[in-house]
Amino acid sequence: MPKVKKKRVGFVIDMTPLVDITFLLLTFFMFTAKFKSEAENEQKFMITRPKSKADTSKLPEKDLAVIKIAFQDSTKKDTSYYYEMTDEKSWNAVRTAMKYPLDKAQIKVDLEQLNDVLKQTYKVAGKTKFAIDADQDIRFKWISDAMEVLRKNKFTQFNYVTDKIQ
Amino acid sequence: MAGGGSLGGGHKPKRGKSSKRKAKKRVGFTLDMTPLVDITFLLLTFFMFTTTMATPQVMEMSVPPEQDKEVDVKKSELMSIFVDSEQKVYWYIADEEIKETSLKEISAIALRENLKPAVKNKLITVLKISEEAPYKAAINILDQLNQAELGIKEQLDKEKDPTTGLPVKRKRKFTLATLSEPDMKKIEGMKK
Repeated sequence: MPKVKKKRVGFVIDMTPLVDITFLLLTFFMFTAKFKSEAENEQKFMITRPKSKADTSKLPEKDLAVIKIAFQDSTKKDTSYYYEMTDEKSWNAVRTAMKYPLDKAQIKVDLEQLNDVLKQTYKVAGKTKFAIDADQDIRFKWISDAMEVLRKNKFTQFNYVTDKIQ
Repeated sequence: MAGGGSLGGGHKPKRGKSSKRKAKKRVGFTLDMTPLVDITFLLLTFFMFTTTMATPQVMEMSVPPEQDKEVDVKKSELMSIFVDSEQKVYWYIADEEIKETSLKEISAIALRENLKPAVKNKLITVLKISEEAPYKAAINILDQLNQAELGIKEQLDKEKDPTTGLPVKRKRKFTLATLSEPDMKKIEGMKK
């Protein structure tokens, strides 16, 4: 009896390797973690991106402007364009010129407003790269309209944002 | 004797004890790591659940700056792919009859047609999508064509330009547009 008791009370495992590995993983996840941007924090919709298989490149992070096209609610009827830019300086310039509130990282626009915003973007930062991030069930008309507006504003190269099939 | 002995014995062990304690502290030094491990695990699980590993991919696309300009194109070098509102895929080349196909076959068709000697590296692919079709239909076709592109490039790399002796460079010609009225009539005509 006393022997058994002693063993239980004084039972020690060396936790050092466990702690080592845990810290290693912790630092790994801490450094790879990417927090949501301000714009993503604001947005109230979810985009289910279409899936693609082919080897494509990663989304550039610098000087990027994203046109998001998404359903506003689950009824999947009403759609709108949302515009955001990653470069703080030019985005501020665009928003100031267009009289949009500066505290909003993402602005909701219709096709005409999109045209105006793009015109302003071309003036401020002509080198901006564009990406269209649309929900997979959006009618193609929305995409082709956005493409037409982009083309009119001399932005002839852009990207479609997709998710990779795992 | 007894007292002296106890005194002497008392002194000696005291010194011995103190020196032994010091040694014991260094060798058997243990720190309760449980709270540390608790917090570390908590943070680890938090970061593990909040990180998203899959970063979005992009598909590059370019449109001609002037769409109003008429470009002379040989009909034989034109391959058209249509997608209607029901996401059905049709294709034809040159003056051939329009044919219905499926999404999975597009990649093979594109590869085969692009490597035909007569139109090699000259074929223009025209993708027309109905305005009512979902966006994913367009992306799926583009994805298939991008996959075919890999095969085409591989094939062309093996060949050498007879004049320069350098490997043939792939010139991709591709346009994306919406399905027009005459195109829809073409599809209708095929169904009859």
